[in-house]
Amino acid sequence: MEALSGTRASFAGATHAFTARKLPGTCRRISLQVRNAGTREIRDRISSVKNTQKITEAMKLVAAAKVRRAQDAVVRGRPFAENLVKVLYGVNQRLRVEDIDSPLVENRPVKTVLLLCVTGDRGLCGGYNAIVIKKTEARYNELTKLGVKVRLLLIGKKGSAAFKRRPNYKNAIGNVYDMGQAPSVKEAQVVADEIFSDFVSQEVDKVEIIYTKFVSLIASEPVVQTLLPLSPIGEVCDVDGNCVDAAEDEVFKLTTREGQLVVESEKTAKADPSDFEAGLIFEQDPVQIVDALLPLYLNSTLLRSLQEALASELAARMNAMSSASDNAAELRKGLNQVYNRKRQAKITTELSEIVAGASSV
Amino acid sequence: MVLQVSVMTPDGIFWDNKAEEVILPTNTGQMGVLANHAPLITALDVGVTLIRTDKKWTPLAVMGGFALVKQNQITILVNGAESADTLQSEKVEASFEEAKNQLENAESEKQRVDALFQFKRARARYQVIKQLVN
Repeated sequence: MEALSGTRASFAGATHAFTARKLPGTCRRISLQVRNAGTREIRDRISSVKNTQKITEAMKLVAAAKVRRAQDAVVRGRPFAENLVKVLYGVNQRLRVEDIDSPLVENRPVKTVLLLCVTGDRGLCGGYNAIVIKKTEARYNELTKLGVKVRLLLIGKKGSAAFKRRPNYKNAIGNVYDMGQAPSVKEAQVVADEIFSDFVSQEVDKVEIIYTKFVSLIASEPVVQTLLPLSPIGEVCDVDGNCVDAAEDEVFKLTTREGQLVVESEKTAKADPSDFEAGLIFEQDPVQIVDALLPLYLNSTLLRSLQEALASELAARMNAMSSASDNAAELRKGLNQVYNRKRQAKITTELSEIVAGASSV
Repeated sequence: MVLQVSVMTPDGIFWDNKAEEVILPTNTGQMGVLANHAPLITALDVGVTLIRTDKKWTPLAVMGGFALVKQNQITILVNGAESADTLQSEKVEASFEEAKNQLENAESEKQRVDALFQFKRARARYQVIKQLVN
């Protein structure tokens, strides 16, 4: 019985080190963990906690460095995105009166929906992966209830593993991709090509992406957005029909302020239609030009989503590891206390034994 | 050197230099741009962009997009760009042959669309390599 409660307690301690919540009864849990242990066991436990703390601290720093890299990638892509939005906006100003008829904006009656689920490749990042997976399942059930056929395209090892385990998704799973350490155009292109040909060949009528939007280092938000059909003026809409004008897109930026990492988001420069003078020649039919613009827009939206998902994953890992380190520190402090108490008690007992022995002679 | 040419991809700025002449692979055939060209916007196919600085031509494989010409500033926005420095000739030739085969053997509509994309990209890379040899 004692042995059983002992193992359960140490198990509770292990999970405790990785959860973000601060539990009030840490001290009680500590004393529970080492209730019947001798000093040697406590010493072992302290060194084990110390090692765990070192690991979680290192993982936190690694994640922080990678968030920075993820941010650099977003910044590097910015001139492209800005110019693209500017031109798209300008072209649409000119074409406002004309009907745009491009295969990527075609609204068809929806029979099949392709869901893109973006998760990470690795765990130890709090609820990051689980939240996206749950959201995807909810959306899947919602659509299936409406009588729509759903196919899944999974990005990230965690998501693919989760859905492959569930037998009821067996027929829905299409291609599976890894998230990688830094999503580049090449990866986005492969995925974009696939959804493009699926959509144009009418195998699916709508493409939605479920990913985690990066809000700040401590907050991120899983969202469902429609990728295809694109809206001709370059808007990104979520499923409820709330649209973000691409011209007012936000770009996040990680900076340091007083030694702390902080995130600032800034609006990209609003496209200025006056850049587009009236004399501009359209070399081809305007529709063809829009045709060339929209795939670019699709790719850059997709790449942006992947980059944001990666940044969210890293931020989630940073937080999880940060609270794990905090917990480990607290645990260590408590264990040290117990250890010292036991040590002192032992010395006191020994002393009193010696004194008692001496006085009895 | 009067033209300012910048080639941008979602990964960053690929090329930003002065040039004298640019030949663009537009959807409706090749188009040359010299100094003081009228403002213009054109869609670009997957193909080779040629940039001339002095007497030297630099070929770049561009993967579809568009170009904006305005006041001697040429902005080329493409999905991807590659130059001879970033390509390996044996690999490019092999993938070109493979893409050609795939296109010829495509059965369904989806396969054909896929294969056509692959073929066009492989061909652009192949042309960049060949351009250097000639």
